[in-house]
Formats: sequence, structure tokens, C-alpha cells
Amino acid sequence: MKNRIEEIRKQRGIRQEELAKLMGVSRQTISSLENGRYNPTIMLAHKISAYFGMSIEEVFIFDEEE
Amino acid sequence: MKNNIGHWILAFFWILLGGILWALSFAGKLDNFWNGMSGGLIAVGVIRLVRLVKYSRDSEYREKVDTETRDERNRFISARAWAWAGYIYVFAAAFGTIGFHISGHEDLSFFCSISMCALLVFYYVSWLILRKKY
Repeated sequence: MKNRIEEIRKQRGIRQEELAKLMGVSRQTISSLENGRYNPTIMLAHKISAYFGMSIEEVFIFDEEE
Repeated sequence: MKNNIGHWILAFFWILLGGILWALSFAGKLDNFWNGMSGGLIAVGVIRLVRLVKYSRDSEYREKVDTETRDERNRFISARAWAWAGYIYVFAAAFGTIGFHISGHEDLSFFCSISMCALLVFYYVSWLILRKKY
């Protein structure tokens, strides 16, 4: 599953450490999410999307072929 | 890790138990196996105690530990690592069973086969329990 976390985070001038702290996860988790190495649980996806003030579909792009 | 009394009691318990085993083996009541065990228990207790002291005094360390503990990716990795360890163990025990049998070490071959069967039974029981839970 692809996502736009890095793009949105950079647009808003937030550092990985800051986002990680706000989401209650480690910086490595944010890094892995941005690189597409790790897919979040629905709770974390919801939390990140809510923080950005967007819907889950706007932040996370579901690719049926994956 | 939470800063609760249970963690402190457990740390002191390991040190106390280790101390008792060491004293008994030093007095000749127990063999060297228990002497080695006592050293391990004391080390575990001391390490836990040091971590608890740091956790209770250092707020930055406390936040780091809490985040690492709660982090969903760490939990995911931990679950995957246990799954890998289980697979590796089953294959290693299967090879061990055959290898030790061929080399004439029947006791070790038997141990490998029994432990492999036990692990598979644990897996099946866990699967049944988890299937009902989820």
C-alpha cells in the first residue's frame, strides 16, 4: 500500500521525529511507513489521517495489485 | 515497562533467589549447575534494577522506553520474529532428529523429535485458541 505521508509531512514542515511523537510511535516507524516497507494498522492510519485533517483514502493509496 | 511495584519486587526476587542458590552451592548443598544459575539470576535482577532506576529518574529514557514498547511496528516485528524462530526451530529439530539418528546419538535424536512434536502441538493449540478469540 502506497501513501502520501512524506509528501504531506514535508508540505507542512513537520519532521519525522515530531510526527512520530504526536502519533506515539518511533521515528523508525514513520520512516518505514514513508518508504512503504511497513503498512500501518487501521488505528495508526486513522490517527495519521486525522492529524493531517484528511480522509484515509487521501493519505493511503490502496493498490489492488500488491 | 510501567513504573509499578511488581517490576521492583521481581527484580529483587531474582537477586534474592540467586543469592540463596549461590549461598547453598557455596556451602556444598547444591552442585555447580545451581552455582551458574545463581550468577545468571543475580545478573538478570541487577540489570532489571538498573533499568528500573533509570526509568524512574530519567524522563527522556522513560519516554523512549514507553514509545518503543507501544510502537506497533516493534510489536509486528516481534510477532514475525517469533514466527520465524518457530519455523527455524522445527526445521532444525527435524534435521537434528535424522542427523543424530544417523550418527548414533539416539538420545539427542529422541530429544529433537519430541521437542519438534511439542512445538507443533503448542502451535496447534495456540491456533485453536486464537481462532476462537478472533
